[in-house]
Amino acid sequence: MIEWAVLIGLAAATLRVAAPLLLASLGETIAERGGLLNLGIQGAMLLGAFSAFIGAYFTGSLWIGLVSAIVGGVLATLLFGVLVVSLDLDHVVSGLAINLLASGLTLYFTRVLFTGGVSPYLGELFGPLPIPILSQIPVLGEVLFSQTGFVYLGLISVPLVYMLLTKTTFGIRLRAIGEDPVTASYLGINVVKMRYAALFAEGMLAGLAGGLLTISMFNTFDTRIVAARGFVAVSIVILGRWNPWGVLAGSLLFGFTEALSLRIGIIFPELSGASTIQLFALLPYLVALVALVAGGRRVRGPASLGKRIGKQ
Amino acid sequence: MAITPLSSPFFNDKEQDNGKDAEYAVFLKGITKIFPNGTVANHDVTLGILKGEVHAILGENGAGKTTLMRIISGILKPDSGEILIDGKPVRIRDPMEASRLGIGMVHQHFTLIPEFTVRENIALVLATSGWLNLKKVDEKITSVSKSMGLEIDPDSKIESLPIGKRQQVEILRLLCQDVKILILDEPTSVLTPIEVDSFFRMIRDLKSSGKTIVLITHKMKEALQISDRITVLRAGRVIKTIPTSEANEALLASLVVEGMIPATVVRRGTPGAPVLRVESLRVSDDRGRPAVDGLSLVVRSGEIVGIAGVAGNGQKELVEAITGLRRVESGTVRLALHDITNKPTRFIIERGISYIPEDRLHRGVILTMGVHENLALKCIGKPPMSRKSVIDRGLVLRNAENLISRFSIKVPDPCTSVENLSGGNIQKLIVARELSNGGEVLIAEQPTAGLDIKASEAVHQELVALRSKGIGILLVSSDLDEIIKLSDRICVIFGGRIVGEFVPENLDIERLSRLMLGAE
Ligand SMILES: Nc1ncnc2c1ncn2[C@@H]1O[C@H](COP(=O)(O)OP(=O)(O)OP(=O)(O)O)[C@@H](O)[C@H]1O
Ligand SMILES: [Mg+2]
Repeated sequence: MIEWAVLIGLAAATLRVAAPLLLASLGETIAERGGLLNLGIQGAMLLGAFSAFIGAYFTGSLWIGLVSAIVGGVLATLLFGVLVVSLDLDHVVSGLAINLLASGLTLYFTRVLFTGGVSPYLGELFGPLPIPILSQIPVLGEVLFSQTGFVYLGLISVPLVYMLLTKTTFGIRLRAIGEDPVTASYLGINVVKMRYAALFAEGMLAGLAGGLLTISMFNTFDTRIVAARGFVAVSIVILGRWNPWGVLAGSLLFGFTEALSLRIGIIFPELSGASTIQLFALLPYLVALVALVAGGRRVRGPASLGKRIGKQ
Repeated sequence: MAITPLSSPFFNDKEQDNGKDAEYAVFLKGITKIFPNGTVANHDVTLGILKGEVHAILGENGAGKTTLMRIISGILKPDSGEILIDGKPVRIRDPMEASRLGIGMVHQHFTLIPEFTVRENIALVLATSGWLNLKKVDEKITSVSKSMGLEIDPDSKIESLPIGKRQQVEILRLLCQDVKILILDEPTSVLTPIEVDSFFRMIRDLKSSGKTIVLITHKMKEALQISDRITVLRAGRVIKTIPTSEANEALLASLVVEGMIPATVVRRGTPGAPVLRVESLRVSDDRGRPAVDGLSLVVRSGEIVGIAGVAGNGQKELVEAITGLRRVESGTVRLALHDITNKPTRFIIERGISYIPEDRLHRGVILTMGVHENLALKCIGKPPMSRKSVIDRGLVLRNAENLISRFSIKVPDPCTSVENLSGGNIQKLIVARELSNGGEVLIAEQPTAGLDIKASEAVHQELVALRSKGIGILLVSSDLDEIIKLSDRICVIFGGRIVGEFVPENLDIERLSRLMLGAE
């Protein structure tokens, strides 16, 4: 018999672990709705994580860390914009190039800045921020209302991004570009400006998603800190069918499997210590694969997704 | 509006006209456009469009009609020259600027987002503030469509609408933007004769409500019927602008094309054994409703069978079922001895079916690939084009050069990517590839839509030549003249069934039209 406390803990952890995925995949949703397939989101998250850490460590202020996370993420996605929007280069190649650049840069600067190439620990973290009154509600209060600001931000962003895409002029024009950028330009929509704007928004969200890792989750930096979260975010977007609500569901699914894989020893004590438990770390990726095969068939993304415009 | 075409100034490119006159809605002065690849699309074009007139533009494929109109609507920038709107010089930086100046264009290839609804497509250009105000868009749609007598459901998705309706949406969108000058690039090449009639009625309504209309067309008859003045372009230059009352078909033809047009002498074929046999075919459309409903049809070798009908009566689905692009629900399709029902398209192509698709951009070519590669697409996997999976590049190029000259496709060089070709030249390319592909049966879907008279004649001659070689041809066309001219037998399609059959010798056009409308 599994205890209540364990289940509640699992649910709360699901949200905590899902937060970076949610923020990043919402950002990627905005970009992809505009036709931009940005695999460089992985690099944007890494730069976000690194600059958040640097900002917080050298100034001693987590808030400055937060701002620099955004700056780092935006720089990465705008660079992607230069390659893909301005120079009309291949999306996938450009994205991968940015990932390589990001890991090279962060590795170099950790070596230069910190002795032994090992980042020190931060003195403090953005911890949980229980919401008064709401956090007193049994179960729900613990799961939903005693989280960090990043979790709240991610959850609030879902309806916001949804409204941005469906209820605003910006959104409808961005989606038109995602379907057919040449037609959109014939209609007088400034494709370049709009795409840069979309990438700016993605950069902010991806930077925050990365920054969250260093200044709210792990309190140090390592070049492998993002793991494959950027790529997982890209698959969540496909799984969520380019819809913010679907993306929320996808993020929770991944958050849940990751949280579960971390707790499998607690839930099934007889397994703890066994080397098979390492296999459970693969669970989220396995779920990604299965979910994409099962749910990714017959889905049609934005028609121009990942395509170069070609010479006009 | 007070200007009648007869009293309007008569001029051509030689005449000095400063265009400052506010009689002109648009005045182009010495416009030259040279593309980066060196193509001179427009050369010193001087042209005035009078307020409130319907001005037709004629010219061969690649004459520079579309390019000139794109310059007026702000999509392309001229290399030199001046544009005057209402007598005032303007610089049209982008399409937004053009629409502020009251200029709107319906493009040769539609600019609607198929995934969006009518409302969303219109909101796309109307919206000014941050939040979408769909209610306001709806009000605009209702008021404009009421004044034009259009019936369009703002909730319907574009991809579910027939072509004629899509065109109405394009025009509706321009009217919602309150444009004063409408530029229509080959609007009739996608319409059936009945749709053309109602389209012309709309043009007349627009004119009487004070709009200025520029209409590009390849059909002289249409230009003579609807326009007030006609300008002919050839190789990027204005040949002449004349009042329609002084024009006739022979004169226009001699202006459009240098030299004589070889008239196709069509003798009837001598049909042999059946090559394509369709029996009690049932096929559904995209929404699962029956589109082809127990249709039977035979095409014999050395015979052209024309399918006449109003678009949307199952023609598209019939062709897709034969070519393996759509699932057959019941019935059979046989090609000589082979059963090709629900077989893969590759199998069907290899058994000898060639196909000229209506949707050229998506089904006919790969836009970003070279002309030479597109011309080799169907035979590139087999010897002699490729041996042991290695492509013989020299042969691909020679094949292309050969076809380019045989079908007089206008390309700067055989390796240019297809997206740089004019609409008509893309069609020529597809026709060239399919006609040279061999095979026993050719399915030709709107083979001359958008082609100039010379090119249409060339295609007709090729079709007739193939027939004399014993190939069976299924011709699906909304151009009734074309069907009557070429077919050995005419089948009328209505509601997914063949409802009547004629031989051209004793054709009762009245009855044919009634059958097309399902009136019998
Ligand atoms: N983007 C481009 N780059 C290079 N050349 C181009 C481009 N667009 C058009 N051209 C060339 O300019 C010439 C004029 O093309 P345009 O599309 O204006 O012809 P058109 O008169 O509209 O012909 P059609 O009746 O076939 O539509 C053609 O030779 C075409 O190949
Ligand atoms: Mg054209």
